[in-house]
Amino acid sequence: MRNNLSLAAVTAAAALALAACGGVQNTAGSGSDSGEYPSGAVEMPVGASAGGSSDLISREISRGLSDELGGSFPVINREGANGALAAAEVAKAEPDGSTISVQNASLFAITPLAVGADEVTSIDDFEVVQGVSRDDYVLVASEGSGFTSVDDFANADGKITYGTTGVGTGAQLACALTFNAGDTPSEAIPFDGGAPALTALLGDQVDTACLQVGEAIENIESGKIVPLSVFGPERVAFLPDVPTAQEQGLDVEVSQYRFMTVPKGTPQDVKDAIADAMQATFETEAYKTFNTNNNLTPMEIPGDEVVEQLKADTERYADLVAEYGIDLGSAS
Amino acid sequence: MDWTAFLDGFGVVTQPTNLLYCLIGVLIGMLIGVLPGLGPAATMAILLPIAYNANDPVSAIIMLAGIYYGAQYGGTITSVLLRIPGEASSVVTVFDGFALAKQGKAGTALGIAAIGSFVGATVSIIGLTLLGPIVAGYALDFGPPEYAALALLGVLLVATVGSGHTVKALAAAAVGLLLATVGSDSFTSANRFTFDTLQLQGGIDFVVVAMGLFGVGEILYNLEERHGKPHVPAAIANIWPSRKDLKQAGPAIGRGSVIGFLLGVLPGGGAVMASLAAYATEKRVAKDPSRFGRGAIEGVAGPESANNAAATSSFIPLLTIGIPANASMAMLYAALLVVGVTPGPQLIDERPDLFWGVINSMYIGNLILLILSIPLVGIFVKILRVRPAILAPITALITILGVYTINNSVFDIFVMIGFGILGYLMKKTGFEPGPLVLAFVLGSLMESSFRRSMLIFDGDPTGFVTRPISGTILAFILLVIALPLVKLALRRRDPDTTPTDKIDQEAGMR
Repeated sequence: MRNNLSLAAVTAAAALALAACGGVQNTAGSGSDSGEYPSGAVEMPVGASAGGSSDLISREISRGLSDELGGSFPVINREGANGALAAAEVAKAEPDGSTISVQNASLFAITPLAVGADEVTSIDDFEVVQGVSRDDYVLVASEGSGFTSVDDFANADGKITYGTTGVGTGAQLACALTFNAGDTPSEAIPFDGGAPALTALLGDQVDTACLQVGEAIENIESGKIVPLSVFGPERVAFLPDVPTAQEQGLDVEVSQYRFMTVPKGTPQDVKDAIADAMQATFETEAYKTFNTNNNLTPMEIPGDEVVEQLKADTERYADLVAEYGIDLGSAS
Repeated sequence: MDWTAFLDGFGVVTQPTNLLYCLIGVLIGMLIGVLPGLGPAATMAILLPIAYNANDPVSAIIMLAGIYYGAQYGGTITSVLLRIPGEASSVVTVFDGFALAKQGKAGTALGIAAIGSFVGATVSIIGLTLLGPIVAGYALDFGPPEYAALALLGVLLVATVGSGHTVKALAAAAVGLLLATVGSDSFTSANRFTFDTLQLQGGIDFVVVAMGLFGVGEILYNLEERHGKPHVPAAIANIWPSRKDLKQAGPAIGRGSVIGFLLGVLPGGGAVMASLAAYATEKRVAKDPSRFGRGAIEGVAGPESANNAAATSSFIPLLTIGIPANASMAMLYAALLVVGVTPGPQLIDERPDLFWGVINSMYIGNLILLILSIPLVGIFVKILRVRPAILAPITALITILGVYTINNSVFDIFVMIGFGILGYLMKKTGFEPGPLVLAFVLGSLMESSFRRSMLIFDGDPTGFVTRPISGTILAFILLVIALPLVKLALRRRDPDTTPTDKIDQEAGMR
């Protein structure tokens, strides 16, 4: 019933669009080269609203899958609880490849540090098919704050405020670790996502903020905000002059990455078909351009390597948070 | 300002392909605006692939922008005819719009709304053309303390909306504020009133509340009201506003446009505040404020001009500083990324054709919308002739489908039905759902801005008063509260003018 309704809604909208603009190509094309999969429409729930990077990546992959495998892969926005809602839907879906989802590492590795034990989403409920890409965080300072490097924090008088993109996000963790590792008095100001946090930074309402590179890059390039540090294992190709936190002597490495998940127990041939189609998509020019435009670093590693890294990160974050006595859930 | 680039922008828009894309965009926008639920952001997400396939990226952006402002026109229609506001900024239109429709003046209301929308949007585009970057700078001065003060003002203005008791309106607003706390707290991620369900963790969606209280509540009320009575089709007195209506609505449209332009620049809550402030302003300046809530044309003209002006000026933060002000703007941001353009301060210099092409397409798009609206008003008002026995199930189906499409959630349908029952009971007991819905929208803005401010101030609340903008807003709030009290004191002294509230109230029940 639910299937039919959402399908009806999507097809109704698509029909509306197609009827209105007859010339536009339908992306759910033909040309199936994998025998059985998919046998019908494949739902791709995404735990974020339309327009954010999680949503855009899902849509890009959905296009690639339907080009490679035929059939349609409608992306369904199931916003809420940092993506836990969409995750719960995938976890309990039929394990036959009819429900697949691109999910964020932060939901499994960082959100558990902020929420109660019964709200934790475990990676053990899923099978990871394929890595997708990394979305790096950057620590930026407002023009008015006068900070030009993390060393300037030591000379600041009073508390330094830092805007984050929300509680239990990688942005919050990265900033909290940076300030605590340097013993800097600071205050976290959580916002509802990157855009409001950036607005506050541009208006000098907060001194610094941790944002995703794609959200900040245009204002960094025009000199309105000052990048201080990135948090990946190496520098980000889009901001080659910005040092990593580790280069600056801080033991902080936080990154967001995304990967394709299916419900536990999905047959191997289905997983292979999805992984092959995704790898073929990654090779296309259109997908590479998409990554560049959105400042995403490819992380196209096999599923088991993703799980390994995710488990290592989860442990590392928990240790760091315990070491510095940070409580992500208490907004300080 | 670079006039050559501006004029070249018109050259871009008037290419036949771009005109066609503009027409398609506003048409789709208007249609989805009429259907509650499927909003412009979701539609833009579905149509995003067009940005890949269009020969010229500017055409695709023009079309997607058209969907957004086209939806603003469509939203009015259900507010006026069926009492279902599709989004927060059209809630206040419901009061006088629906009252006018019941008096057989649906055509007047829709006509004035269309004209007001056109004028509001055009004033705002002119503002965007001439003052865009300057206004964007002032929007940045609005930090959390300013938003907290603004939201507080909004909650107080809520009490002036509608025709009922002020006390009842405040009580409903208090319930709205309480409902706004449902969900995971965005500061500590503690669960508030979620009853251990994941579905309530993200809070309750505005559209679910509004469609339940207004749409379903109205259907239930009508079922009882009309039971056993013969069906009398609503009279449709006039399709188009008379000269007198236009004269009456003119100043309201002007004020609404300016308010909408200024408040719409503020990301998050700007459009709701704009329509609310426009309504409150009209009620204040009116010679006879008691007409409001029972079919005052200014009560439609002001907010409708304001919310369209606000929708247009929400392009300013996106195009000049690269900040999407709402979900639809985020989709437009995504579409710009798809065509290889990152919106931000450099956009105007790097891609003047795109910048001015999109802005100038809005002049044309709004003109198309006005022309489209005129014949459509005549068609839409015929809905009122449909027997309730047929219309009620159709409305119920539309609201259920609409609510489902927001989050693809069956749970939301049950929440909506729950609010429908609440809406019915409120109507039976003389409470207006409007203050509840508006306070619900402003509640989370007020709470999170207040808490954010306190964190920034390090716990010292004097910052609210010492910051120039928030201080001014707070002083204004004091004035708004004090003024009626002073008036009341003066009236007490003069025994000749006895309050006529009681009579007004009974008339308001009609």
